[in-house]
Amino acid sequence: MSDNLKSIVFVLVTALVCSLLLTGFSTGLMVPKQRNIQTDRQKNILAAVGLLTREQTADWQAIEQLYAEHIRCGRVDRNGQVMPDTAASEGLLPVCFQVRDGQVAAYILPVETKGLWGTIKGYLAIENDGATVTGFTVYSHQETPGLGGEIEKAWFQNNFKGKRIVDPDGAPAPLSIARGRADKSVPPERLPNVVDGISGASLTGRFLSTGFNRLLNDYDPLSRRFRRGDRPLPPKPDNPEKT
Amino acid sequence: MKLTRTKPFKTLAEPIVKNNPVFIQSLGICSALAVTVQLNTAIVMGLALTFVLAFSNLSISLLRHVLPRNIRMIVELSVIASLVILADEVLRAYFYTISKQLSVFVGLIITNCIVMGRAETFALGNPPHLAFLDGLGNGAGYGGVLVTVAFIRELLGSGSLLGYQLVPDLFYAAGYQDMGFMLLAPSAFIIIGLLVWLQKTVVKG
Repeated sequence: MSDNLKSIVFVLVTALVCSLLLTGFSTGLMVPKQRNIQTDRQKNILAAVGLLTREQTADWQAIEQLYAEHIRCGRVDRNGQVMPDTAASEGLLPVCFQVRDGQVAAYILPVETKGLWGTIKGYLAIENDGATVTGFTVYSHQETPGLGGEIEKAWFQNNFKGKRIVDPDGAPAPLSIARGRADKSVPPERLPNVVDGISGASLTGRFLSTGFNRLLNDYDPLSRRFRRGDRPLPPKPDNPEKT
Repeated sequence: MKLTRTKPFKTLAEPIVKNNPVFIQSLGICSALAVTVQLNTAIVMGLALTFVLAFSNLSISLLRHVLPRNIRMIVELSVIASLVILADEVLRAYFYTISKQLSVFVGLIITNCIVMGRAETFALGNPPHLAFLDGLGNGAGYGGVLVTVAFIRELLGSGSLLGYQLVPDLFYAAGYQDMGFMLLAPSAFIIIGLLVWLQKTVVKG
């Protein structure tokens, strides 16, 4: 009995010491960890609009500065009305804008969709014509490395540049991922809407297509305004934006 | 007595080549395949494992007289797991890009048989300073294999080392191509196989 008691006490003490140590470390490193996540997010937004290439490595101050110069974020409601990111707009769809000379050059939608093994998170940027894709980035996913995992690679993401989210008549058209090369399986008139996929990862492609479909549907009121030539931009925040 | 004859020295040096955990005991192969496409991930992985191994050996050796036998593996595992999470947290805070590339493999150090194996076979029966050196030695042995494999794979597969391009553009213009196979996991198998052969030949002879 005393042996058992000793074991139990020993385990409890070990658990206590280990958890205190880990809690201490986790809390102590919170600031740099969160800054890394924020920098990574900003980097992906900048990459989606082509302001930063994926290979470029910059320190976090440089990225923060580039971000503050060019990107402004806000929220958009179901009617395409854009407003600043405040407590009042909580729950509305988040959206970011690339600002060039006080005008919107592109708008950036956060992608968050189911993948094969977990959530795929990234950004899809669309030009201010409301129809042409500027870029796509992924910053978090759990797809199979080498297959679906290729979605994080530049070669796949570059396939998105110049793709259209409207058909030739200007009506919204789903942006989808082909199984393998698009020109082999898709009729030519659909080609502008279809991205070359990853061979061996048709499921990941299908999940992404579904995600894009829903995303573009949700943001369609905003895209419509851009297609009409209206370029809404949330007001400049008074204090430096906290992201 | 010569330094090279002392027990501490032998404990540290033997696992680096002569009794290398990857070559002789075939442990840690899984991560040796996964993180050796680039040199920088291999170096960081080697350092992380060495850190975990040295300190898990040290802590378990310190506890060896008070550790109840019936729960020793549970305690070993808690110690190892805590150290692994600690290493992961530090990587996330200060080496974010590399930590993203290593993704799940830092966490999987917990299941690396080298760590538990050294705790069971060495740390439980030896004093702390020797256990610590044994951890460093085995970590260096594992890390050395990783770095060697990654050196070959990155040089031949991407034409670069640590991300710096080494093969001049002139070569590419003349028709030189990177060896795509080196980027895939099976290439690491073949390289490790060749290294085992080399190691056996050298150590015997």
